[in-house]
Amino acid sequence: MKISIISIPVRDQEKALKFYTEKLGFIKKLDLPLEGGNRWLTLVSKEAQDGPEILLEPAPLHFEPSKVYQEALLEAGIPYTQFDVEDVQIEYDRLSKLGVEFSMEPMEMGTVKVAVFYDTCGNNIQLVEKI
Amino acid sequence: MKLSETMTFYETELRRIRKQVYSNQQQLDLVIGIKKLIDANYDSDLNLDMLSFHRFISKYYLLRLFKRYFGLTPKQYLIDKRIEKSKEFLRAGTSVTQTCFAVGFKSLGSFSVLFKEKIGISPKQYQKEQLSRSKLNSNHI
Repeated sequence: MKISIISIPVRDQEKALKFYTEKLGFIKKLDLPLEGGNRWLTLVSKEAQDGPEILLEPAPLHFEPSKVYQEALLEAGIPYTQFDVEDVQIEYDRLSKLGVEFSMEPMEMGTVKVAVFYDTCGNNIQLVEKI
Repeated sequence: MKLSETMTFYETELRRIRKQVYSNQQQLDLVIGIKKLIDANYDSDLNLDMLSFHRFISKYYLLRLFKRYFGLTPKQYLIDKRIEKSKEFLRAGTSVTQTCFAVGFKSLGSFSVLFKEKIGISPKQYQKEQLSRSKLNSNHI
């Protein structure tokens, strides 16, 4: 068994695609049309283009429990997805300049440093740096 | 840019947990220092005696402490580090033998076994796959 895809539920696929590629710097890997305007939309990170993909899936639009769960996590500031970075402070500064909103500023947590931002599509995302 | 001045439930919880789990800053500084030492010297002949001597602590204490904070022993961490670095060398086209010694392994046999154990394929196979991939990309096929 191999881990190849991690899903991120988004409220708007097009908006999410723009945010994840233009602001976060991910690269689009697959974009296949499905029914009803929905897409099979996956991205990879620039540094690991043959690595795991994230799937931006429109679950909150079509499945009520997904929407409820996402809203509750968002409200509580809980990130369900995290990305590794070399330096959290540098990413925090870079993304802030691009207008990305953080719900938690860079903070040391034992052997890592973390920060949490809003992906504009319903999710808190955590950045992690190994100190 | 900070969204709001009030702390989220998540941050409140994180701070509470940090107080309980990571309150010993001295220990944290020690293990992080050891980890940075390994990061900077992964290609040399590191061992637990040297690491503990470097910080004037018992090697058994160091072993326990490192594992408690990183979930790995210093030795396991060093091996992971060397394997990660070896991937960079292999991708750049360095031969398997040269790569093995460049990242600090002493024997080609143990390097190949460890690599296969961690990555799932042999160093040679890994290099072949990576190089043919980059060739494909540069040809825009």
